Amino acid sequence: MKSHLVSILSKINAEYAEIRYEEVTSTQVHFVGKELESIGTSVERGGNIRVKGKAGWSFFSFNQIENLPTYLSEAIKYSRFAKNGPIKLAPVPPRVEVVREITGKDPRKVDLEEKYNLCSRYNHILLSGSEIQTSDLRYADIHTIKYYANTEGTYIEQEWFYVVLGMTSIARRGGNIQSAHEGVGGVGGYEIVENLEEKAERATRRALELLDAEPLSGGRYTVIVDPKLSGVFAHEAFGHLSEADFLYENERLLQIMKLGRRFGGNVLNIIDEPLIRGAGGFYLYDDEGVPAKKTYLIKEGKLTGRLHSRETAAKMGEEPTGNARAISYEYPPIVRMSNTYIEGGDKDKEEMIAEVKEGIYACGFRGGQTNLEMFTFAPEEGYLIKNGKLTRKVRDFNLTGNIFTTLSQIDAVGNDLVLFSGPGGCGKGDQSPLPVATGGPHIRIKELIVGGK
Amino acid sequence: MEEILEMALSKAEEAEVYHEEFQNTTVSFQANRLKAVDCSVGEGTGLRVIKNGKIGFSSITNAEDVKFLVNSALAASVFGQNACFKFPRASEIPRVECFDFAVDSTGVEKMIEEGEEVVRIITQEFPSFQCEVEINKTLSKTTILNSSGLNFTYKKSIYAFFVYAFSVKEGDFLGIEEEGVSCKYHEWTISLVEKIIEKIKLAQKRVSIDSGLYPVIFTSKAMPLVLSSLKRGINGKLVYKKVSPLSFKLNEPILSPEVTIVDDATFPYGRASSPIDGEGIPSRQNKVIEKGVLKNFLYDLQTAGLMQTQTTANGLREYDCLPSPSTTNLIVSPGKVSFEEMVEDIREGVIVDQVIGAGQSNVLMGEFSVNLDLGFKVVNGKIKGRLKNVMASGNAYDLLRNVVAIGKKPEFSGSIFTPPFYFKKVHIAG
Repeated sequence: MKSHLVSILSKINAEYAEIRYEEVTSTQVHFVGKELESIGTSVERGGNIRVKGKAGWSFFSFNQIENLPTYLSEAIKYSRFAKNGPIKLAPVPPRVEVVREITGKDPRKVDLEEKYNLCSRYNHILLSGSEIQTSDLRYADIHTIKYYANTEGTYIEQEWFYVVLGMTSIARRGGNIQSAHEGVGGVGGYEIVENLEEKAERATRRALELLDAEPLSGGRYTVIVDPKLSGVFAHEAFGHLSEADFLYENERLLQIMKLGRRFGGNVLNIIDEPLIRGAGGFYLYDDEGVPAKKTYLIKEGKLTGRLHSRETAAKMGEEPTGNARAISYEYPPIVRMSNTYIEGGDKDKEEMIAEVKEGIYACGFRGGQTNLEMFTFAPEEGYLIKNGKLTRKVRDFNLTGNIFTTLSQIDAVGNDLVLFSGPGGCGKGDQSPLPVATGGPHIRIKELIVGGK
Repeated sequence: MEEILEMALSKAEEAEVYHEEFQNTTVSFQANRLKAVDCSVGEGTGLRVIKNGKIGFSSITNAEDVKFLVNSALAASVFGQNACFKFPRASEIPRVECFDFAVDSTGVEKMIEEGEEVVRIITQEFPSFQCEVEINKTLSKTTILNSSGLNFTYKKSIYAFFVYAFSVKEGDFLGIEEEGVSCKYHEWTISLVEKIIEKIKLAQKRVSIDSGLYPVIFTSKAMPLVLSSLKRGINGKLVYKKVSPLSFKLNEPILSPEVTIVDDATFPYGRASSPIDGEGIPSRQNKVIEKGVLKNFLYDLQTAGLMQTQTTANGLREYDCLPSPSTTNLIVSPGKVSFEEMVEDIREGVIVDQVIGAGQSNVLMGEFSVNLDLGFKVVNGKIKGRLKNVMASGNAYDLLRNVVAIGKKPEFSGSIFTPPFYFKKVHIAG
């Protein structure tokens, strides 16, 4: 593959071009309730060529690599349409590297029947309970070989397995239907999905308990969020605004997002770190062949860094961070997060709860979204806190805040950082889902707006 | 494709090959200028077999993997569900308008011109705004071939136009998005720009609101938030699993009597229009809600078989997955009231146009709780200004049971064709 890609690139008449080619084999098992919904293995091969003109990009994706010369001439033609430039790329020393991240138990050596049996066993747990109506269990192991080459002489070949399992238990009492979810995932081997009986039991138990939870009334509350939710908070409430492609061509936003601006107290540190082995957002090189690195987005409460592609880094005069990622060969790389988390602090969870007279303890997550100013992050369930104690269970509420003010309302950071990855992932533009991990310790936020009835 | 079918049938009783080919071209503008021209040319093949009465499936993108495809589908069938259906025979297939030669012949230069015009008009009137524009054309060809003799191919085109206008001031971000999508070529420029400019004007003034219950208007663009619960509720698979809150309510009144909705894959040039569904069943109209009464659930072949009923031609899929019940174009009947008349009727209330946080609540049960990304306050029949930092919460089924009025002008929002709705009340937390 290397000599093929390099020889094609050597004939290109363009300032800069790159080729990415992927071979993806995925095996999946999907149960809904007692029935196996689907099972099997599929294979996908495809690639793309991206060409930089003086003032813009062109991108061409394909399945048939033998037609590459034709696609290439189209791509070069299209790269010349944009007229208002110029576009520059931050320099990255060329490198040649072959990375094989096949660690742990190779899923190819586990036969389909064994995968079926494992899922069937977990599914049985998800369905145990007289008020459990159904379940949804999805297993996937995805083997990827990705080849990357550019006209500057960089060639990177990466191979890895991404193994993921999502488990949802759905309970019903009359017209009341409630679900609870547990998931795992990451770059690694089959061991990621083994021995998860306890997680399956937890999903089942929580779905049943949610039947008895009461809807919460909306308003402003002091909210303590658990590590699952504080990770989504980090991702939505700050992570996205750190993506430099939102900033680099917007003078006003750049004024607002000056390095050194204070967003939170000294206890607050938010980090993006691709190089965490086993996590969902793990990688060594991004989709521009740039080595991944750890970036402090917020250090001691102040804005200290952002996530870059080579283009945004050049425009802003900063170092590339290796955050240009694409969900597949069908898409060009854009600036994305990897594993994003709030660093642990010094408070015990119990102490944080004990100090709250009236508030909410929010747990688990169903998702989050931001428009770069406001954000939402949705818990699965919660408990009312009265005089420092957890009282009744509540559901059907959503948390919201303002990126520029809410971080300063964090008044306690726990000492119990956990990183989560699982099915699903991050969406940006039309690229979804991208594997990422999010995490944090328990954190406490004052005066948060809660939507409910 | 015939070769794949033959290979599969040497080992399986029945088989179906689903093949998709597409090419799409997108021009993107960022920060007011043309930034990229992207193209994709792709294809994929899915094989569904029935062996020993059980379903197996696999998919590939390249012809070199055909052997793998057949072997994987057969291997999967060992664990597969018992098939409760037979693949459909060739039958009379309706002519559905979903391909327009004008989309095919619209060149990149023309798409760029349209994008430039959008940017020019918006930034001329509001220089502090930055525009992102994405214009996409997609041409696709789908073929279904099965062991019952069906061999049908259809072509489809899509022309999609997306505009996002964004302005930033410390403490006051405003982003407005508008989209136009059709199988037919359409000059979206002016209609989308007019909507954006009108909303920018309305959003200039910021107003506040006390927490409480208020009457609410959802624009067509915001209606998918309300209708997404119903979309799931009528999904035959969720009905079969008994987790649809509508499971036992067929032929019962479940919504206000003003509400009538059909699912219609034959709607001319609709986003989700096609002559057949993903398993070769001729497209048709299905009544979903008639004057508030639940008339039908939507099925694919397998789910219909399990429920001992007939498919409604709602087996939707892409090449790389098995069909599953889904809505096609959801067409909501218009009412008699104009948007202005709805606004005039409100003493104090809210207009919802864009939200963040949709789909993160218990959607199945109808719950929603969202931040008003773009929402307005109405006082004494007039739009007073933009609401921010406000959550709107409620239950979609409750809303649809408490309809005050339905607008007379429907528009597509994705594949939902709906007028604006005026509901009795929604919970606002500010």
